[in-house]
Amino acid sequence: MHINLTGLIAASSAFLGIWLGHVTVRKVERLAPKLWPPIIAALALGVGLETISLSTAQPLLSASTGILGITFLWDALEFTRQEKRIKKGHAPANPANPRHARILAEHPDATTTDLLDRDPIGCPVTVDEAIRLVDRKDTKGAQ
Amino acid sequence: MNTFGLLLGIATLFIIGLGFVWVIRAEQRLGYLWWPYFMGFGLLLIAASLFLRSDWASALLGAVGASFVWGSTELKEQAIRAEFGWFPFRAEKIEPPFAEVIKKWPAPDL
Repeated sequence: MHINLTGLIAASSAFLGIWLGHVTVRKVERLAPKLWPPIIAALALGVGLETISLSTAQPLLSASTGILGITFLWDALEFTRQEKRIKKGHAPANPANPRHARILAEHPDATTTDLLDRDPIGCPVTVDEAIRLVDRKDTKGAQ
Repeated sequence: MNTFGLLLGIATLFIIGLGFVWVIRAEQRLGYLWWPYFMGFGLLLIAASLFLRSDWASALLGAVGASFVWGSTELKEQAIRAEFGWFPFRAEKIEPPFAEVIKKWPAPDL
């Protein structure tokens, strides 16, 4: 029987691209004092991968670099979207980063707590309750 | 010039975009405890893609499968976002089969 690996390669590239982007954008946005260098780097990486994808005759290489390239181009956009999440308090700010310290001073909803770092409880939760839930989880984890 | 990868990349972007929509809906109606079923369904689609003759069909099915696996790891965080009111919250959920067993497993969150 003929086994077609194209789908498996496409699936692995898509999963890896989303995962890498998800983790890297959060980490780099948290640490970078300015956002334009990582944005340029993501754009360059994306364009480079698409160039490989367009110039190779190998369908599997074209598929994986094509998918990874597009996800990195999307990540360039995600850096500014992540900064907006920091301003709204939907993602934790890093007070050691001067850009984030400014956001914390100017945006009352910005917080250093990762409000998503808890288990769902099945009913609506206010931000104050969430902070208590996250703290309780941290003390439990430390024991 | 081989446009296969570029076009596939753009198609994958739309498939991932659809993922946002179904993760929000599925969490709202069903609840995050359905995550093992979504993960299993995604893995089945990826396995099925191995047996398709057409490269395009195989690649698209694989990408859809990957987005189901990824979406399954997003359901728990989505449940928390909904509890904050960042997304519409619905208390009534449909319990999945073996909910009590699934509750004992740590929900994936990448």
